[in-house]
Amino acid sequence: MNASPFATSARTATNRRVESVGKTVLAGVTALLILPLTAILGLLVIRGAPALSMEFLLEAPAAGMTAGGVFPAIVGTLWLVGVSLAVSAPVGIMAGIYLNEYARANWLTRMVNLAIVNLAGVPSIVHALFGVGVFVLFLGLGTSILSASLTLAIMTLPVIIASTKEALAAVPMAFREACWTLGATRWQTIRHVVLPNSISGILTGVILQVSRAAGETAPIMFTGAAFYLPFLPQSVQDQCMALSMHLFTVSTQVPNVPEAIPYATALVLLSVVLLVNLTAITFRSYLRRNRKW
Amino acid sequence: MVSASPMIEVIDLSVSYAGKPALEQVTLEVRRNEILAVIGPANSGKTTMLNCINRMIETIPSASTSGTVKVDGHDVAEYLDPSLLRRRIGMVFPLPVGLPMTVYENVAFAPRMAGEKDRSVLDETVERCLKQSALWDEVKDRLDDLGTRLSGGQQQRLTIARALSLNPEILCLDEFSIAVDPVTTMKIEEVLKELNENMTIVVVTNLVLQAKRLAHRTALLLNGKLVEVGDNEVIFSRQTADARTFQYVQGLFG
Repeated sequence: MNASPFATSARTATNRRVESVGKTVLAGVTALLILPLTAILGLLVIRGAPALSMEFLLEAPAAGMTAGGVFPAIVGTLWLVGVSLAVSAPVGIMAGIYLNEYARANWLTRMVNLAIVNLAGVPSIVHALFGVGVFVLFLGLGTSILSASLTLAIMTLPVIIASTKEALAAVPMAFREACWTLGATRWQTIRHVVLPNSISGILTGVILQVSRAAGETAPIMFTGAAFYLPFLPQSVQDQCMALSMHLFTVSTQVPNVPEAIPYATALVLLSVVLLVNLTAITFRSYLRRNRKW
Repeated sequence: MVSASPMIEVIDLSVSYAGKPALEQVTLEVRRNEILAVIGPANSGKTTMLNCINRMIETIPSASTSGTVKVDGHDVAEYLDPSLLRRRIGMVFPLPVGLPMTVYENVAFAPRMAGEKDRSVLDETVERCLKQSALWDEVKDRLDDLGTRLSGGQQQRLTIARALSLNPEILCLDEFSIAVDPVTTMKIEEVLKELNENMTIVVVTNLVLQAKRLAHRTALLLNGKLVEVGDNEVIFSRQTADARTFQYVQGLFG
């Protein structure tokens, strides 16, 4: 029996009810998510704002961490994020390209892919121990920006590889076939068609890892981040302070720190991450404008 | 002119996908400067045979191949780099795949990849190919538009223009008229007849009448086996060597 499409039937009423209930539930869950996020941000701003000033941003900590600013920590975090991404982004992207575009689908590739997925789930403290063992001690790099950055790079690599692969896999196979048929080699196809159409997805993966590299404390604690340093790092062989580490220090390790300082430090950390991300996102949307399908 | 040594020789070619046979011991030749039509129902191995000619079959991991395909007297397996083989053979697929770039870049892509950098040469190539594929008048003011924004029929002619961009000796078309209206189909058929003067053309088609209109000779594939190949006068007559050819052509099959 075909009901009239213009009259309300029991069926259409049910459909409409299910539709509105579903929509409400989904919107509610989204609101629940946004609530704690804004609460955290609001708390940080309210509690941290009084301590924020140009001096806080541009001076070193003073009086046993209870006064002064976080300038060396900002510099140190930028060093760590910069060096670790300089390693993990190219290596991760190249590995992702190999795995998606060249590797044959055999048991070895499957094992490698499985390992990557599992590595992405390894707790950061495990990466820290690995970093101490390999970079600090075995390779003799000592506690330095280099050791800490390499540890962060190892930690961020799996996600960068996985997201690169996903971005590449989203480029339709038909594009590749059309290119091969036209006599383009595999690399020409990747360089001129696959990469230009997946670069924004690849960068998304990298951007997410910026926040992770900037925020993690455990991997850098034993490998290169210092509690307090009276000078700024001059090279990757120096140790450095870092915002995440500093936040940990002022909130748990030092007595009599004014309440506003940890909050302000956290606020600065968030802002630094946001700034780095914004740069990357701007770059990405510039690239995305060239996307052609 | 149809000269003695064949342009394409398919010798005892068998292909299977993950053990399932798709082509079985097909032997067939395509003469120089002829149009050969390949007809047959779905899954009869027509596309697989085309894929063997330019070695695209290698990009399908589950495919295993035996037998020989010669192009211009040379076994295609002898090409160390399949790109060099593919540059001699233009290919057109059933559904047009406009590359995600401008109309101009779509046509200039293959010459660029083959190393052509001279802008004036590329300009000429683009104009020549778009004229050859009867698309020039419609897109000459839109060369910087995305290829993917053209209509379906225009995109199909764009892929033909692209396939012509390296002056191939062979042009293979796989059911090119599937996504194209009848008017455009006729346009393309006219184009193919013109190109045929100095190009060997293989047309895989589901349309028996298209084979009759367009080709000099026609081959019928059935379940991966070659039933018959011959001059159109024979294939489309009552004197076919195999009764199944007559039945298929007349639409009496099955």
